Amino acid sequence: MNMEDLYRLLRTGHVQLQSIVDTIGDPLLVLDDSLCVQGASRSFFQTFNVGRDETIGRPLYELGDGQWDIPELRRLLLEVVPKATAVIDYEVTHDFPGAGRKTMLVTARTLHHPDRPSHSLLVVFVDVTDRRRREAAKDMLFGELRHRIKNLLAVAQSIARHTATEGRTAEEFRDDFLGRFGALVEAQDLAFSEQGGTGLAELVTRILSPYSSRGEAVVIEPGPDVELGPRTIMALSMVLHELATNAAKYGALSTPAGQVRINWQLEDDNTQLRIEWAESGGPSVTRPSAAGYGTRLIQSTTTYNLGGHVEQKYEAGGLTSVIVIPVGGAIPPN
Amino acid sequence: MLVVEDEFLIAMDLQLILEAAGWRVLGPAATVRGALLLLDDEMPSVALLDVNLGNEPVTAVAEALSALNIPFAVASAYDDPERFGGEVLAGVPNVGKPTGRRRLLATLEQLTEA
Repeated sequence: MNMEDLYRLLRTGHVQLQSIVDTIGDPLLVLDDSLCVQGASRSFFQTFNVGRDETIGRPLYELGDGQWDIPELRRLLLEVVPKATAVIDYEVTHDFPGAGRKTMLVTARTLHHPDRPSHSLLVVFVDVTDRRRREAAKDMLFGELRHRIKNLLAVAQSIARHTATEGRTAEEFRDDFLGRFGALVEAQDLAFSEQGGTGLAELVTRILSPYSSRGEAVVIEPGPDVELGPRTIMALSMVLHELATNAAKYGALSTPAGQVRINWQLEDDNTQLRIEWAESGGPSVTRPSAAGYGTRLIQSTTTYNLGGHVEQKYEAGGLTSVIVIPVGGAIPPN
Repeated sequence: MLVVEDEFLIAMDLQLILEAAGWRVLGPAATVRGALLLLDDEMPSVALLDVNLGNEPVTAVAEALSALNIPFAVASAYDDPERFGGEVLAGVPNVGKPTGRRRLLATLEQLTEA
């Protein structure tokens, strides 16, 4: 082999090595044993926004005005790696003036030279900043979901405990419970629908649909658009369900000629929502002597959960309920 | 004892369990403001707090209770209530949500014995 062949061979080797280094998607550095940069991959220059000339041949901790002077990394490369030969996925978080706050997984390996006492270090930085951010967002979402499920179960538990048992058959209890449970299911579906916001019209239609089989039995008058938050959706669903189930048992929906009309308006500069539920054509109704669970649920859910109030009038023509609740970010007072 | 819980149905459930076991319930309160007003009037021997009250954490109530040396537990669906309600909730017993009757009563007993 003459000198020219040897030179060509070495050059080819060098070009191949540089190609391998540049092909690696994650930033890679080759350092000598005093942490001077011998080589760097293209992705290193891109990720950390630095140029080749200001990088090669200089100590790592002087790069980019000392932004790589990270005590944790220095200790890792000078003390840990030489002893352990390799370090895999060591997490380092650092604020880079040019590239911002980055979380990196550092993998480093010592390369011993067979004919010299010195060694080189191969260091790969995997930028997991976005991954960590996504993981944190996912954890939070998952936590919220767990929270929501447990709350829902707690509400279901409460409904089961409070649905009346005295003087009722097991079937009656079951039907009452499942009616309320169904309203809860509908409310969940509406409150966390994938389509985003839920309007009052949609909620009223959904909750009353089991009672709307007879053409004119339930009339929902067109009203202004009102977008509702999850808490309001849940509470209003329960309230409307109680009104409907009561009407079906004792009120206008218990007779073929009876009718319920529902309408709503926004009042006081759109800060108050007024929903009117008017029954007609049913049997004459009188105020029950003692408030049952259903009536208490209507009253207390409106006042306690929604910070509003309910007025119920038992008139000869049928029951009228007026529900007024704050909307649009108004905080319910206690 | 004081009960702070923003969902009426859950508050009602807790109240029923507690009253059946002989506790006298102060509240329930749905908001921080409501709970603090109740504390102005009367000192309960113990309190049970929900962590997330709609759009506010229960933190201020927990701090008021701590200042008054009133022991309290949380009834939270969160595994780590202190993450949402702050340091004042660290190490406070959590009776969970949905709340089991036995666990709730046993926890209250422990808190009031100490």
